[in-house]
Amino acid sequence: MPSPTEFRAFAVLRLLGAWLLAAAVPLGVAAQGLLGGTPASVTVVQSDQARAEIVAHAPDGAGPGQKIWVGLQLTHAPEWHTYWKNAGDSGLPTELRWTLPPGVTAGDIAWPTPRKFPIGTLANYGFDGTVVLPVPLTVSPDFKGDSIDVKLYAAWLVCRKECIPEEGNFTLSIPVQGSTGSFGAAFEASLRAAPKDQPVADSRLQPDEGFLKVSLANLPAAWRGKALEFYPETTGLIEPGAPWTQAWDGARWTARVPLSPHRSESPAQLALVVAEANPPGHGPGSPGARLDVPVQGAWPAVAPLPAAVPDALQAALDANTARAAAPANNATSLSLGAALLGALLGGLILNLMPCVFPVLAIKVMAFAKHANDRAAHRANGLAYSAGVVLSFAALGGLLLGLRAAGEQLGWGFQLQSPAVVAGLAVLFTLIGLNLAGLFEFGSVLPSRLASLQARNPTVDAFLTGVLATAIASPCTAPFMGASLGLAIGLPAAQALAVFAVLGLGMALPYLAASWIPAVARALPRPGAWMDTFRRGMAFPMFATVVWLLWVLGQQSGIDGAAGLLMLLVVLALLVWSLGLRGRSRTALAGLSLAGLAWLGWAVGPHVTRLQETTPGQAVATAVQGVSWQAWSPETQASLVAEGRPVFVDFTAAWCVTCQYNKRTTLADAAVLGDIAGKNVALLRADWTRRDPAVTAALTTLGRNGVPVYAIYKTGQAPQVLSEVLSVEEVRAALSRL
Amino acid sequence: MQRRPIIALATLSPFASLLLPGTAQAASVGQPAPDFTLMDTAGKPVKLSQFKGKPVVLEWNNPGCPFVKKHYQGNMQALQKEVTAQGAIWLAINSTRDDSVDHMAPAQLGRWMTEQRASPTAALLDEDGKVGQAYAARVTPHMFIVNAQGVLVYAGGIDSIASARADDIPKATNYVRQAMAEIQAGKPVSVANSRAYGCSVKYQPA
Repeated sequence: MPSPTEFRAFAVLRLLGAWLLAAAVPLGVAAQGLLGGTPASVTVVQSDQARAEIVAHAPDGAGPGQKIWVGLQLTHAPEWHTYWKNAGDSGLPTELRWTLPPGVTAGDIAWPTPRKFPIGTLANYGFDGTVVLPVPLTVSPDFKGDSIDVKLYAAWLVCRKECIPEEGNFTLSIPVQGSTGSFGAAFEASLRAAPKDQPVADSRLQPDEGFLKVSLANLPAAWRGKALEFYPETTGLIEPGAPWTQAWDGARWTARVPLSPHRSESPAQLALVVAEANPPGHGPGSPGARLDVPVQGAWPAVAPLPAAVPDALQAALDANTARAAAPANNATSLSLGAALLGALLGGLILNLMPCVFPVLAIKVMAFAKHANDRAAHRANGLAYSAGVVLSFAALGGLLLGLRAAGEQLGWGFQLQSPAVVAGLAVLFTLIGLNLAGLFEFGSVLPSRLASLQARNPTVDAFLTGVLATAIASPCTAPFMGASLGLAIGLPAAQALAVFAVLGLGMALPYLAASWIPAVARALPRPGAWMDTFRRGMAFPMFATVVWLLWVLGQQSGIDGAAGLLMLLVVLALLVWSLGLRGRSRTALAGLSLAGLAWLGWAVGPHVTRLQETTPGQAVATAVQGVSWQAWSPETQASLVAEGRPVFVDFTAAWCVTCQYNKRTTLADAAVLGDIAGKNVALLRADWTRRDPAVTAALTTLGRNGVPVYAIYKTGQAPQVLSEVLSVEEVRAALSRL
Repeated sequence: MQRRPIIALATLSPFASLLLPGTAQAASVGQPAPDFTLMDTAGKPVKLSQFKGKPVVLEWNNPGCPFVKKHYQGNMQALQKEVTAQGAIWLAINSTRDDSVDHMAPAQLGRWMTEQRASPTAALLDEDGKVGQAYAARVTPHMFIVNAQGVLVYAGGIDSIASARADDIPKATNYVRQAMAEIQAGKPVSVANSRAYGCSVKYQPA
């Protein structure tokens, strides 16, 4: 049953009719010369929770040019409190609205130092006991009148666990002649309890991922070594009720205060009050110090979606300085513009990734073929770009569509399917065999299709673009991770734009080459060398097949890989026999076709089957006592709870960048030595196959593809390292633990 | 070498360490909204992810709170009607601990919603406060919007004027209405975080 107070939005206002004699009755003056009657002025509003009274302090009268004090005195019932200018997690500051005669102006509330009221996991800032909220009034020199008639509308929220909003309309007449001073002691106590303004000197505030680092100089010497309380004047910036740490370093006080996940402000200056923690008694807190401290560095971005994030420019500039600096640990520091820029750069860098090498070979061939045909060059360049951009957009669209349907997918998802990997292996085998001269497409394919390539080089270029995309997608380049992570959360149209720009970046060098005559002139003339070059190009293709086979082996095991190899051999036999003539062609082709069909039925399921995972196997490293364990959210959580830092390698067999990092930086003796020294646990999250848990963990880091390297430590936001990992970067990150 | 006396203000019990960022930090705007399953007032389980593909408004509610009453004089009901008429979902969540004076049994909360002529898709009970803490819901009403892709796109107050006075409602910018209009138009949410004001959520002690 809710108590009756809970159903009262507003407390019953009871009028005590207590007159402020000293304030309302001018000394020894019977006739005020008032034309109308004085309206009954309410000076006190009282409820069961609080008593509010309008008060004034003008010991030397309130004549022109004088400064006088007025205010609201709140007397709280035991356990009840009202709020400071920043109320903390909930509540509202007490609000005072003055209506004053002409020539009289009111200043701001001179807030006394607050107290902290913890309430469960939350906390509020305010006052209990008795407090006066003083406001200075300035009387202009040309003020005419015998008294200053002050009207005040005040609203205060008074809370214990439950809250009751109260309000009142007050009036007070302050005589110009004579003294108004019966509340002098209350005003003085309140003004004494106000925080003293301190020079900033070299005090610093520095936002970090999830925390605000505070470093204050020049605090009163008497506080040294004592626990302080930290009150920012901006609401909603920190987590008032969350655990935090503080320390004294000589005369300097430092603290690490958790930031609110829903922070809506990113001030460049922060006014704050510090005071001794847990002051005894009631009323205002013990007098604090107030500093207006400049904020150094950028606030961690709050929201990715508003287009006008000032950090966006910074993010773009950061992306420009091709130092693959560790991106922010979530994609939120990127606006759409920065994401597009990142995607463009990422696409450009894709051309340097090993996955794309075979496609580069094909492009070089095409360039050589049309060496002296400018128009054909341009058409080809455009068609290739169109192929890449459209395929990227299509892949992105498919990804978004499947995710919207509730699938836990990420970039490179198509390579998590053994069937797709096998299909690519077949495709590259055929291209390799063709380049090696085992068969011509004309002798294998129906002539109409085969002549398509020759008659329609544009279509061919377009298809090359499609192929390039298919094979390049597993290589996440630097800057791409954050863009892709962001794209997933954007509205569909913008997300597709990011994917398309990624493709544009990848196609850009060819587009430029095909449109700039200088490049065309620099290319060698067609000739006999082309045949040699073509045959040589078969080998990178076969190397790609080997890589794809290895990926498939990770997914479906050794049986699957062997089955696919057998299929490839018979496939090669088939295309070769199709190029023969007469009876041998019919016999051999028939035989190999039958063999292929039988193999497909017999070993096909092995190829597309995902083998059972055998997790939990630790993989030793070169350093004694350091080994990789299989990642799971539970393992990570329990290690972090033990207080150990955890390094997670989000990787996949089909991700070439991942494999490169694994064999270089992550195997580096100095890095492993640091890992052993810091007692860092190594976990490997394998994304070769679909794993919703890994996808979810990537998402919380704002990423959507591998590689991702993250260091988790209790009490710190995760550090995310860059995709192309350097030894220095890992060691620097470890040294920060 | 100076010794630095460290004053730990919180005894970090294992549970408290779970609340520290880096392990189980509450989701912020731009991140995937934490999924949850809660019982509605009729005792049926409701799961956030079952609404994937539609925007979802989350409203932290406690009928005993004056700020909730301020907005339940018609403002919240009108917003619920608008949002659900657009085909979006509205979940009212009550995280009040069961020994608080404000606590309501499921049936009681259901009756209150009916009396108020409220039309949330469902009113849910989160007495152990786990869901509220996962979203860092601080006050009632604290408002959140999860977009159709399951990403948190708004967290904050219901409107721009922090007060207990109902006559401030017409003067205020309703951030939830504004964000929903932007989402429907395929635009990014312009105000994605704002100051949430109201009564503290009456959580179970940690």
